[in-house]
Amino acid sequence: MTPRRGARSLQRRAPRGPLGVLLATVILAAGAALSGCAASSGTVPGCGDPLRLAIIAQSVSSASYVPCISGLAPGWNTSGFDPTQDGTSFLLNSDRSPGQPVTVRLTATCNVSGASPSPSRAPGVLTYTRLDSISPRFVGALYDVFPGGCISYGFDFALGSQIALVEQFEDAIGLYPRQQLRLILKQKLGIELSP
Amino acid sequence: MTTLPTPRPGHEGPEVPPLITASPGGRRRRPSGEPPPLPRHIDHSIRWYLALAGIAGALWAAMSVPAVLGLITRADLAVLHVVAAVRTAWLTRLMLDVNALASPWTVRLLAFGTIAVLVAYRRFQHLAAYLVIFLAAVLLLSAMRLEIGRMRPTGIEILGPWQGYAQPSQPVATLTLALVGVLYTLMPAGRWRNRGKWAAGIILAAVCAARLYLAVEHPTDQLTALIVGWPLAVVAFWLAVPNDVFPVSYRGGRKAHLDIGGRRGSAIVTALDHQLGLAVTGVEPFGLEGSAGSTPLRIQVRGPASDKTVLFGKLYTLSHLWSDRWYKLARTVIYGRLEDEKPFSTVRRLAEYEDHLLRLMRDAGLPTPRPYGFAEITPEREYLIVMEFFEGGREIRGAQVDDRVIDDALRVVRRLWDAGVAHRDIKPSNILVRDGSVLLIDVAFATVRPTPWRQAVDLANMMLTLALASTPEHVYERALSLFAADDVAEAFAACRSITIPSQLRSLIRADGRDLTGRFGQLAPPRRPIPIQLWDIKRVAITAGLFAALAAAVALFGIYLSVAGLL
Repeated sequence: MTPRRGARSLQRRAPRGPLGVLLATVILAAGAALSGCAASSGTVPGCGDPLRLAIIAQSVSSASYVPCISGLAPGWNTSGFDPTQDGTSFLLNSDRSPGQPVTVRLTATCNVSGASPSPSRAPGVLTYTRLDSISPRFVGALYDVFPGGCISYGFDFALGSQIALVEQFEDAIGLYPRQQLRLILKQKLGIELSP
Repeated sequence: MTTLPTPRPGHEGPEVPPLITASPGGRRRRPSGEPPPLPRHIDHSIRWYLALAGIAGALWAAMSVPAVLGLITRADLAVLHVVAAVRTAWLTRLMLDVNALASPWTVRLLAFGTIAVLVAYRRFQHLAAYLVIFLAAVLLLSAMRLEIGRMRPTGIEILGPWQGYAQPSQPVATLTLALVGVLYTLMPAGRWRNRGKWAAGIILAAVCAARLYLAVEHPTDQLTALIVGWPLAVVAFWLAVPNDVFPVSYRGGRKAHLDIGGRRGSAIVTALDHQLGLAVTGVEPFGLEGSAGSTPLRIQVRGPASDKTVLFGKLYTLSHLWSDRWYKLARTVIYGRLEDEKPFSTVRRLAEYEDHLLRLMRDAGLPTPRPYGFAEITPEREYLIVMEFFEGGREIRGAQVDDRVIDDALRVVRRLWDAGVAHRDIKPSNILVRDGSVLLIDVAFATVRPTPWRQAVDLANMMLTLALASTPEHVYERALSLFAADDVAEAFAACRSITIPSQLRSLIRADGRDLTGRFGQLAPPRRPIPIQLWDIKRVAITAGLFAALAAAVALFGIYLSVAGLL
């Protein structure tokens, strides 16, 4: 009896149009933020992720090794990853040493005066240890010195747990050879790591 | 309290009859599916910006595949090598100087400057949008940098300082965000914003060129940074604070009135035609300086006999709803919960309430504008309430105030009392005089069944208004013919500086006479009525507000750190 007309939907998609875009943007941003926050606990590239290690190599172009995370013991995480044209630094945090992270720095040179040689951690690497204090806190630094660069690890632990903590952070940091990184970049991206 | 004579008839102007027949189409119900008079509109530029955002997303997705990343990187490096071919010592020095424009200090200066101006002009919607968009963009950029983990250009000497992963470029993105923030929250749309866009474009072009010359990042690192910082941010501003609802304007201080030309002007004409049956021949802003709560309009209408009549309109939008909310929150905290200060939940409710009060006051025989209903311009976003325009009415400040006017004005208050209504905003700009009769306008703040205190304040404010053009003694004497002396005593016992509308307060200050004090002396003595009512709700709201402020300060510190502004 009435003219024909298409049925109209009552169940409106909400939100529609621009509102949907806003919502999507917010969700994306929130997701990105959350993933960023989540990633912030593991911002330092792992030794199995050479493409991300390239920027560390670029921060000290002469360094024959670059630090990477080979594996974190339970209770450890990383933060403050900061590669710049002058070197790279980051923090290793342990829940057994709250507020006193291990500060890791890759630089072109190190001053190892006052430090004692320790067992080497990789071929061509000289390792040194310097203890500034044993009591009331275990304070000092570890150095990995290699051609064209040096990695320092500053620590400040409470007595009692220091031996385990030192072992754990030493195990956490791996040394990735620049030569190997250069090869992988050439293979995967077809680019040369300079120099 | 006795009921005294009602207002004399004759305050009403010539009636504008329903104009259904004058409209070509007459009133018309909008069928389902037909767009409203002013549908939400997406500019072409917004569509382009969204397309660009898609390109950034596609680039990021492509970069997660090493083979494609290698291809893009090689292309980027080819461009950088071409640029590097023109390197010279003096050009390098110049480019390093230009690159300094992208330093964190420039971004901080722009960001803090923007925040300061927005706070100074109380543009809190813009401020909230700015902070959220800036933070969201910075978090997005940060997350993408970590996700992609792209190295800096290789095989070419990097001449400038750098920090962190290359993709997307943080300095370019944050500088772009800061500039877009200035453009879309501080600069009025139109000529100034367009000029600003050119200036921002030139700055960004120079910075990008310098950074490419210095080889601190790849061209695609800049491309995605520019897309996040400009198109994506513009879309977000467009959604959060659309210019046609939250216009940036410096005319009349913080009062941002809407542009009623263009699409909105046409929509108003269509809406009034279809919904109220009014044949509109012209719409123009009217009395903008006296209104912060709406955009007041003078509407010319063609009558049935092709005669022209003028109506008054008030355009309400989301921005006015927010103004109302802030105003009521401030009143609750500063003055106590004196009246019903519950904010309106929607713009529609705001218009409905004023329309209802206009009808109620007309039924009560008050000399208020005849209501013509309200029209929906954009559903849940813009409504236009239409009422009689008091042609020939003059604000009481500029009118001859004789005994007849004084009696008529006092009779209006008497009538308000009898009708159980309080106007709540009695001040000279809301009292007009035409042919010796007093007319009352702007009933948006009125309330039904008010407290006795509020009714007393209406009387005090009316007497103060009249005394400005006369003497307290004379007004008091005339008032006694309509009110008991105790009523007047109660009015001035309730009167405080904060109960007097700001316009009236400033006029009293300029007048120099202690009008309130003199009325207090003339009326029988009465103890002041306390107005700072501290109930549990007010305590909770005040405490909550202070807690929110403290949290906001703390969060702002965290915000600045996360957003990279510290």
